[in-house]
Amino acid sequence: MTESEERLTSTTAPTERHGQKVVLPPHRQRAARPYQVRAANWLRINLFASWDRTLLTVISFAILGSVIAFVVWFVMSYANWNVVTDNRRLLLIGSFPHGAEWRLWVGLCFVFTLAGASYGMWSKLGLRDGLFIVIGSAFALFMILHETSQAWAALWFGVAVVLLSVGYLLCRLVPREEGPTRRVATRVLGLLLALSVPIVFALLMAGPGGADANELSGYLLNLLLAPAGIAGGILVGIPLALGRASSLKAISWTCTAYIEVVRGAPLIGWLFVALFILSDIIGGDLIVRTMVVLAIFTGAYMAEYIRGGLQALPRGQYEAGHAVGLPHWRTMQLIILPQALRISIPPIVGQAIALWKDTALISIILPLRELVGSSRSAIAQGEFITARIEVYVFAAVMFWIVAFVMSRVSQRIERSLGVGQR
Amino acid sequence: MAANPSPPTSLAAGAPLIYQRRIRRWAVQIVYLAITAFVIFYVVQALGEREYGFGFLNQPAGFDIGNQWLVDFDGTTSSRLTLFFVGVWSTVRVVAVVIALSTVLGVIVGVARLSPSWLLSKTAMLFVELFRNTPLYVQVVIWYAIGLFGLPTIQNVVNIGNFLFLSNRGVALPWPHEQGGFWGGADWMVGVWVGVLVIGGAVALKVRKRLQNQEQATGQTRYPNRIAMGMFAGIAVVSFFLLGMPVYVDRPIIEGTNYAEGMAVRPEFAALTLGLTVYTGAFIAEIVRASIQALPKGQTEAANAIGLSNYQRLTLIILPQALRQMIPSITNQYLNANKNSSIALGVSYFDLFFVANIISNKIGHAVEIFFMIIVTYTVLSLSISLVMNIANSRITARDKEDGTRTSGLRQRLIYALRSRVPMGETS
Repeated sequence: MTESEERLTSTTAPTERHGQKVVLPPHRQRAARPYQVRAANWLRINLFASWDRTLLTVISFAILGSVIAFVVWFVMSYANWNVVTDNRRLLLIGSFPHGAEWRLWVGLCFVFTLAGASYGMWSKLGLRDGLFIVIGSAFALFMILHETSQAWAALWFGVAVVLLSVGYLLCRLVPREEGPTRRVATRVLGLLLALSVPIVFALLMAGPGGADANELSGYLLNLLLAPAGIAGGILVGIPLALGRASSLKAISWTCTAYIEVVRGAPLIGWLFVALFILSDIIGGDLIVRTMVVLAIFTGAYMAEYIRGGLQALPRGQYEAGHAVGLPHWRTMQLIILPQALRISIPPIVGQAIALWKDTALISIILPLRELVGSSRSAIAQGEFITARIEVYVFAAVMFWIVAFVMSRVSQRIERSLGVGQR
Repeated sequence: MAANPSPPTSLAAGAPLIYQRRIRRWAVQIVYLAITAFVIFYVVQALGEREYGFGFLNQPAGFDIGNQWLVDFDGTTSSRLTLFFVGVWSTVRVVAVVIALSTVLGVIVGVARLSPSWLLSKTAMLFVELFRNTPLYVQVVIWYAIGLFGLPTIQNVVNIGNFLFLSNRGVALPWPHEQGGFWGGADWMVGVWVGVLVIGGAVALKVRKRLQNQEQATGQTRYPNRIAMGMFAGIAVVSFFLLGMPVYVDRPIIEGTNYAEGMAVRPEFAALTLGLTVYTGAFIAEIVRASIQALPKGQTEAANAIGLSNYQRLTLIILPQALRQMIPSITNQYLNANKNSSIALGVSYFDLFFVANIISNKIGHAVEIFFMIIVTYTVLSLSISLVMNIANSRITARDKEDGTRTSGLRQRLIYALRSRVPMGETS
């Protein structure tokens, strides 16, 4: 802020300067101005400071205005949203068996509770998060209730949201400082998080009446494949990163070769492998092979990010481990990996978002119908053949929501772990 | 990584061999290699029942993808190998266009993101958040659907001054075309003209350099940019007429239900290029923003202090310095764009992955075809990295502290090959 701008905005309240709160000396303090004056000043500084900035503002107003007008026209008047509302079930859960929906709802409750608990344990929900949850729930309830009477579904969803809040509040009660209570709580929560993927799969598929592997489709399939690929990728990536950084030539060379070969071809190429080549090597359901390929593919990228974290650690950390007499693997486990993983969390989450978006590629080549594939089936019904744009826009929004939440969560993790500061 | 510092190896005589560091390292590697060999053996065994060989590439393609730009393809006579290379050529075209356009878009949006105008910066932020967090494939499919169902049919084509046509058959643009010219010369005259342009450009660059040096030595204004551009334009125009106008611009027309003349851009190509450009551009915008923000604030203040205009500050002070920081990350995005172009399969654009998939569906041989796919993408990635590394070495070498710079093509190639640019972040 320049001197003049500062004078325009300064009040008795503390002013921010160089990121620190500064209380101005009494002779420079002024009473808060009426809001009209403040609004006018804000407009002048941020929108109309000089003729060229005014021009920029006008141009961007024209662009933004026409885009918003177009979107409103598209959503309200042009689009035929029946293709989405009539095919809700197909798009969201595909061919999940009728009568087993309670499994999905229990799974949703489990995931929501875990999400709430993690937020409560390691972070804090702000006003914006609360707003986002309210809007998201309203959107979901609208989707559930629109033109049907799915009271049970709405009830289940309500329970899930309540569980999210309960998990959050319970974990807020855990003391923030390191202590026996917190240690036990984080251990339990960490274990549940680590096992969440197999638990959810078991909830959906185990026992009589559960879904078959080939009955998993729609948005549900994206929501299942992405976490499986991410978890598998981390499991593959950590040993690969350690192997690549190893001083044993045979190990580091083979790991490097693996990483470079996997990153050499696009994901669709590897899905081609899952379809035509992997069938002879590991067999199994196509969905299992897809998960294996996603883990193999993501693992190579994860390994590079973890290696970055390993390289960023000063050599003294290794030497310190040896100095206190730890064997190599204990040094890695207790000293090196925790720090390296902490450094590489932001790029790992970035890769997780990339994989989430990449799950849209699956139905290009594989006969699995995730959200985009289900959209294609929805269009293939004769009556909706002209409603392509609508159904793909719906898919884009569904992908965007999760990717956006993930990017926000990653910013939160960065801040609460203090990445970049030691 | 820093190799794990080795603890002292001397052991009391008579200790079991397994406690000796050297022996143990060997043992670990041998066990590891044995396991690896077993896995490889298992894979080879599992794939052993197939027939192998690249002979299928010489057979006729039996699949017609029509004529592509600059390439005439006939599915009945051409071989599968030709089909594959036509696919590679299609990929190269898409990637080249996307790299050029997304860089321009990314720089504009990235700078707009930091604009003091609040509305403009929010507009740019909306653009980035919207297109970065949506799957590329869904975006491309939406563009394609808009192209096929949102645009008018060719009977009701949107005609912009007989110059540009827009319909669900794609976009038609004017395009330069070679001609004999008024000397009655042959078609290859256009080649002569392009040659003259290249030589003229080189001469103009030399003159610009010399004038710049004079400027620096004497402090007098010599207008190197204006003179060099004027020279180049003069050479181009004079030689164009001397060679008897070997090129004319061909306007598109509509014949029946097809475009003719000019250049017709098919909806598949347009959707793929648009989607990739916007997606990659959103990522590049974030890189541009981050590298500008990483510059010390004093640079802006210094530019303001000597009275540069906003535009001069950006083009003379900020962007040149930010460029050095962003080249590795931008290279990464180019490599991503290269690999992402494989979603062409989703909109039936005949890129290399699409034709490989066709061949595999017809004849099998999935292993060989996958080998070809991975080799081709790797070669393309390495070419992009090489070009970008050369650019990087030119830009970073220019202002080393002691004034030395990497000189000569050979030196630069060595530098480019040694400095390893990462192979991209996502698929």
